[in-house]
Amino acid sequence: MGQGHNVNGDSKANNKNGKIPFDEDNYTHNIHKDNERSLDRRSFMKLMAGAAGVFAVSTLPWGAIAAKELAGFGNKKYTAAKITDISEIKVGEAIEFAYPGKHDSALLIRLGENEFKAYQNACTHLKCPVFWSKEQGEMVCPCHHGVFDPKTGAPTAGPPRRPLPEIVLEREQGAIIATGVKRYEA
Amino acid sequence: MKRSYRGVVLLSLVLFLNIVCTQQTVNAYYYEKYETVILFCGLNLLLFPVAFWIYKRERDVK
Repeated sequence: MGQGHNVNGDSKANNKNGKIPFDEDNYTHNIHKDNERSLDRRSFMKLMAGAAGVFAVSTLPWGAIAAKELAGFGNKKYTAAKITDISEIKVGEAIEFAYPGKHDSALLIRLGENEFKAYQNACTHLKCPVFWSKEQGEMVCPCHHGVFDPKTGAPTAGPPRRPLPEIVLEREQGAIIATGVKRYEA
Repeated sequence: MKRSYRGVVLLSLVLFLNIVCTQQTVNAYYYEKYETVILFCGLNLLLFPVAFWIYKRERDVK
């Protein structure tokens, strides 16, 4: 269409004064409000396919961790270590030892004739050494009076909220042997 | 042009299955049933090619 130089009245009405707003590509009046929010079927399907991809990727870490657990990488390897001879510990007594490292102090308690329990005795509150109280029949933390059940290692009183890590024990020719530390389970 | 909402419905179904599988994966993980985790994770991964296939099929039909 002619712009500006068309002088008959009809054209003047269509083009205003022939300049504003003229009908051509421009960078200021190119936003069409009627279309900007439209979501057509194909865009929607594209979105859905993309969402399926996002879901697929988001489950990958869970699958990877599960595969790792199944393959057994999650379990640490411990070397067995002799703690003591059974004859050296009376029923109701406890002895301290270190397992698995020499700075990981632990407590072996003889609860009955054939009942032994061992825990790493760093309190799960602030790592104070927990001791065996024969009179109370409980493991007690001296710092803030945390109390642990010797049968399960679970906290029964005081500030600690997590159980003491239990050490797996085995008996071999009159000796108690530590073979591992149980995994922490909430 | 004939309008067909089959693709939309199918993809909605796929996304629903995605949500279910993700939920089951996470649940099974916390119950330490790792075989189930792998199963649902695999299903979730398979759903993406399915969704893409549905999308492509519906796009190319004219």
